Amino acid sequence: MAHRLGPMQTLPSPMRKFADQDAIDYCIVGVGSAGGVLVQRLARAGFRVVGLEAGPFWDTEKDWVSDEKGSHELYWNDLRITGGTHPLALGANNSGRGVGGGSVHWAAFAPRFHPSDFRVYTEDGVGTDWPLSYWDLKPYYELLEREIPVAGPAWFPWGDPHGHPYGPHPLGGVGDVLVRGCTKLGIRSVAGGPVAILSASHGDRPHCIYRGFCLQGCKVGAKASTLITHVPDAIIHGAEIRAHSMASRISLRDDGRVDGVVYFDREGKERFQRARAVIVSGYAIETPRLLLNSACPGHRHGLANSSGTLGKYLMAQAGNVVAGRFEELIRLYKAPPAHALSEEFYETDPRRGFARGFAVQTVGPLPVAFAKHMGAAMGAWGWGMRRVMMDYNHWATLGVLGEILPWEDNRVELADEKDQHGLPVAKVTFNLHDNDKKLIEFGKNKVMEIMWAAGAKQVVQESRFAHLVGAVRMGSDPSTSVVDKFGRTHDIPNLFVCDGSILPTQGSANPGLTIQALAARTADYLIKQGDAVFFSNRRDLTEPEIRYDLSPPYTRFKGNPRIA
Amino acid sequence: MTKKSFPLLATGGEIKDLEQPGYYAGYSTMGQKKNWEKATRAVVTDRLEKTSQIRFFSPAEAALLEAVIDRVLPQDDRTGERTIPILPILDERLYKNSLNGFRYEDMPPDQDAYRFAIKAIEEMALARFQQPLVALTVHRQELILKSLHDGKPDPQHPVWQTMPVHRFWAMFMEDCVTAYYSHPWAWDEIGFGGPAYPRGYMRLENGLPEPWEKNEQRYEWNAPVDSVSQLIEEDASLEQESLHGHGGSH
Repeated sequence: MAHRLGPMQTLPSPMRKFADQDAIDYCIVGVGSAGGVLVQRLARAGFRVVGLEAGPFWDTEKDWVSDEKGSHELYWNDLRITGGTHPLALGANNSGRGVGGGSVHWAAFAPRFHPSDFRVYTEDGVGTDWPLSYWDLKPYYELLEREIPVAGPAWFPWGDPHGHPYGPHPLGGVGDVLVRGCTKLGIRSVAGGPVAILSASHGDRPHCIYRGFCLQGCKVGAKASTLITHVPDAIIHGAEIRAHSMASRISLRDDGRVDGVVYFDREGKERFQRARAVIVSGYAIETPRLLLNSACPGHRHGLANSSGTLGKYLMAQAGNVVAGRFEELIRLYKAPPAHALSEEFYETDPRRGFARGFAVQTVGPLPVAFAKHMGAAMGAWGWGMRRVMMDYNHWATLGVLGEILPWEDNRVELADEKDQHGLPVAKVTFNLHDNDKKLIEFGKNKVMEIMWAAGAKQVVQESRFAHLVGAVRMGSDPSTSVVDKFGRTHDIPNLFVCDGSILPTQGSANPGLTIQALAARTADYLIKQGDAVFFSNRRDLTEPEIRYDLSPPYTRFKGNPRIA
Repeated sequence: MTKKSFPLLATGGEIKDLEQPGYYAGYSTMGQKKNWEKATRAVVTDRLEKTSQIRFFSPAEAALLEAVIDRVLPQDDRTGERTIPILPILDERLYKNSLNGFRYEDMPPDQDAYRFAIKAIEEMALARFQQPLVALTVHRQELILKSLHDGKPDPQHPVWQTMPVHRFWAMFMEDCVTAYYSHPWAWDEIGFGGPAYPRGYMRLENGLPEPWEKNEQRYEWNAPVDSVSQLIEEDASLEQESLHGHGGSH
């Protein structure tokens, strides 16, 4: 039976296969949010590209189920060690495995970062500035919003106001609570997006059916993942996606340039893919882990780590979940978990006594996730757990999404423990600092206030975190960052990093859209550089022209609505 | 089930030996399985029909843990045939050493954590009540477990000096609720719509039921009078740190 990608698409066949000894142009490690866009763009531009993916190549009909427990394999479940004053729960929910990566299980909220996010140090004296501005990235935001595409309000009022190419989704019970609570308090909110879920059919993808299992992999094909948005087009244009391939080391030549990637194949056999350039897109933990595990003479503390910042400045967003119990039924399992939000508290307000801010968003935990939430938020167990779960349909859940600043002591290192391949696993350390704690306290209380205002009879909350970015930060200064503004490592001219790990700060927006926009921009840069990447050590820092001719099918004739 | 609690009293009579606890009488997610696609139907049906053998825990460990699970997620109100298996799911996870993607730096590996905890709980029972845990009344079993839930083991035990009790408790609760609330009988109990592909949902607002869902019919019920596992308002007002895995949230 054909390998299905959603109900209407099949995996393009045959897929081109390269041999290990073929000197391909680009070997991309990790086919997730960024890697999927990169392979697609580079293949369209005619490069010989292989994407190595540690996990499987999902057949969405056979491998995915409308079931929480049955979706465990979508996550990066291998051992990682977590510590610090506020250790992060890893794996489930913040790292994916398999083609599509985290975009397979993201909730698909797709807000842009605000212009202020790119100049946090200049504006607020905290964190760091980005080596690029919002305006450099804006055309890529607009393009990706059409490619994946994004449904949402015609007028999104925060940051750089914008509209969305697909119309907003209908409200579910949780979105209704958010809008009602915010309206009572005079807080602006938007409903029905922005979310990378189709509100109408798009090419070979049908629209959303509101079944609520977004985080378990969208069998419907309505939620965007690079598995269905970019990977098929990459294969049609000659890219090879090599699943079950776990990269273990990037190989460095004597002349200080990389020449390929050592990886373990499906059978656990060690292999070596030659490549003229390497892009690491393994996300905020596996990317620094791979670079650290690639230490070699001349790079004793990890590849491209002359700055000593590799693995540092890891970030997660504050993700407190606030639950409210209502007299009436809510049935929070219906509609996408991600469908209404407010960014009214996103920017710094000096009266609050801390820098930066947070967003308020809907979340929609299904029964298992909600039971765990009640275990933490209410200390529920025994008969108490049974009783509170019998009220599952009376609860609504909202999330804080708060900006935690980049701190040097929040980091990814190598642990003593080894994985099944004998590779040291990652050790993650996470500590909250004063500004973070104040922001979380304020954000949590504000969201609880919104929940009360919506009419909840009881409000509880759980302190937790969402998303992972940073640890391979991008910057202009080679002594304080690992990669330049196009993702090229400062130390090695043909080694790039492109994924969430390069973000210098994170704002209060879900990072997925920004990661994909950065990947499209890096691809345009690489395409413009042409063969120079493979031979020259010259570092060109001029912005590339955006390429509108490299998008996947069905992007043309979609538009972002006029807003002024 | 191991031993049962005192009767559960409710207006209208005792709540026990129910085919389907909860407020959605007559609602059946499995009744909708013809509307699910093949892969989901296979996974959920297997869960209902197949129970794996205990392979990780020794018989003695399994006996103790079963008694503990019966207090952590009591099913005294359910009929024997409608009891949802929890221990076999946990045992299978540990037998396969299937991880949730991380381990706290101050925790032993999951497999060891369970072995240590079982030993500690048995020795706590012997020290406090001079009887093995399985021989205790459910009230006394609950007193020991409540002390772990509260993060104040009573009596103290050396295992909890080396393994943070709150982290073990969070992992244990996560394993138990994952088994219970992924079972279609639990979905019937709480009125969860269950798998909905390819059909989807259409009544999104105002908590309205789909044509195949049921409306809620609430009734009063009480946990056993001697139980200490009921909700306590103050537990929800504390600073609630999250220690479990975060699959399926955001």
